[in-house]
Amino acid sequence: MAHTTEIDAKAAWDGGQSPFRVSYGKMMMWFFLVSDALTFGGLLISYGFIRHKYADVWPKAENVFTHFPFVEQHLPLAYVGLMTFILIMSSVTMVLAVEAGHRMDRKGVTMWMFWTIVGGALFVGSQAWEWYHFIVGTHVGGPEGHGGALRNVWDMATGAYVQQTYHGATMVVNEYGVPQFANYFFFITGFHGFHVFSGVIINLIIFLNVLKGTYEKRGHYEMVEKVGLYWHFVDLVWVFVFTFFYLL
Amino acid sequence: MSEFHDDYPSYETMYNHSEEEGKKARKVLWKVFWVMLIITIFELIVGSMAPARGWTGTMGLKVLFIGLTVVKAAAIVIWFMHLGHEVKFLKYVILIPYIVFILYTVFIVLVEGVYSGKPGNFTRVDKIFIDQQKQLSTGHHAGAPAQDAGAEHGAEHH
Repeated sequence: MAHTTEIDAKAAWDGGQSPFRVSYGKMMMWFFLVSDALTFGGLLISYGFIRHKYADVWPKAENVFTHFPFVEQHLPLAYVGLMTFILIMSSVTMVLAVEAGHRMDRKGVTMWMFWTIVGGALFVGSQAWEWYHFIVGTHVGGPEGHGGALRNVWDMATGAYVQQTYHGATMVVNEYGVPQFANYFFFITGFHGFHVFSGVIINLIIFLNVLKGTYEKRGHYEMVEKVGLYWHFVDLVWVFVFTFFYLL
Repeated sequence: MSEFHDDYPSYETMYNHSEEEGKKARKVLWKVFWVMLIITIFELIVGSMAPARGWTGTMGLKVLFIGLTVVKAAAIVIWFMHLGHEVKFLKYVILIPYIVFILYTVFIVLVEGVYSGKPGNFTRVDKIFIDQQKQLSTGHHAGAPAQDAGAEHGAEHH
């Protein structure tokens, strides 16, 4: 931070020192994040392609994500707003843990890491709740008065297709609009949710090491900063998922 | 003590800081948090107002939301991930390949997406699929009776 001074551009590449002024582990974490960011970039861009192609029949997020726990009313986007707040908040607690590590403040690192893990777990739980409501769909005769989607189902008895009302969303049928919306929603938020889940596990391991005093003995809390990089990246991806799935 | 593999200052001498420096760093972090929170709340308010006021899908709204998203992303990378504090070589190695690659891909894929979404460019299968979707969706978002009737009317003509 304050001690990281710019080095002479020519001398930096003469050997004997890292021109990047970071440890091997931190640099590799950055390179991993760049490759992961390209993966998410590819997914979101292909989502953009399909969305532009089927612009006419693409559902609006305000009509899909209207539920809020314990409230019967229509509250479009309120819950995803809360989820975004939880994730940004957990990003702040993570960076505060890193900052406490820079002061060798073991108590501070412990406390902030703990809140980061709580925030991550809350977010994963919220995503499960969001998925559940998307899959189940609108209630029959619920407050929305939403009819569900019609789909053709092969009827064995009469040997013909009959139209059936369908509620919710799967990979092949989606009451809110084209099935591609559900496909991309499940794939991208699922891939992101899995990143959050593994982030919580990794944070938990580092948290246990902090409790054990591993980094106190080592003399620095660089591991907290490395997992912090991963955790912020997860928040970074969510910022884009939030915009492209819910706002636009 | 150092994990570095070369003759090089260790992590603790480079990054560890005093109480006063910590206070300053925390002040910056909380400021970034409040800015991000305000941007998100603003986005949600605009997003929930958009359908009633006919802003949905307009270019202005897209530019606003994507612009604010990039601002938030930059804040996370610069202050939370400390990329602003790293030396310029590392910044360039991370940012330049990514930005060049992603901007090119966004450009080429979205141009193709818009092109393939023009009715004249639909394949036969695309047309059948979209007509089917218009007829099947009876939800309130697409449930304008006029639109459904129109789709049926169009089907009769073919």
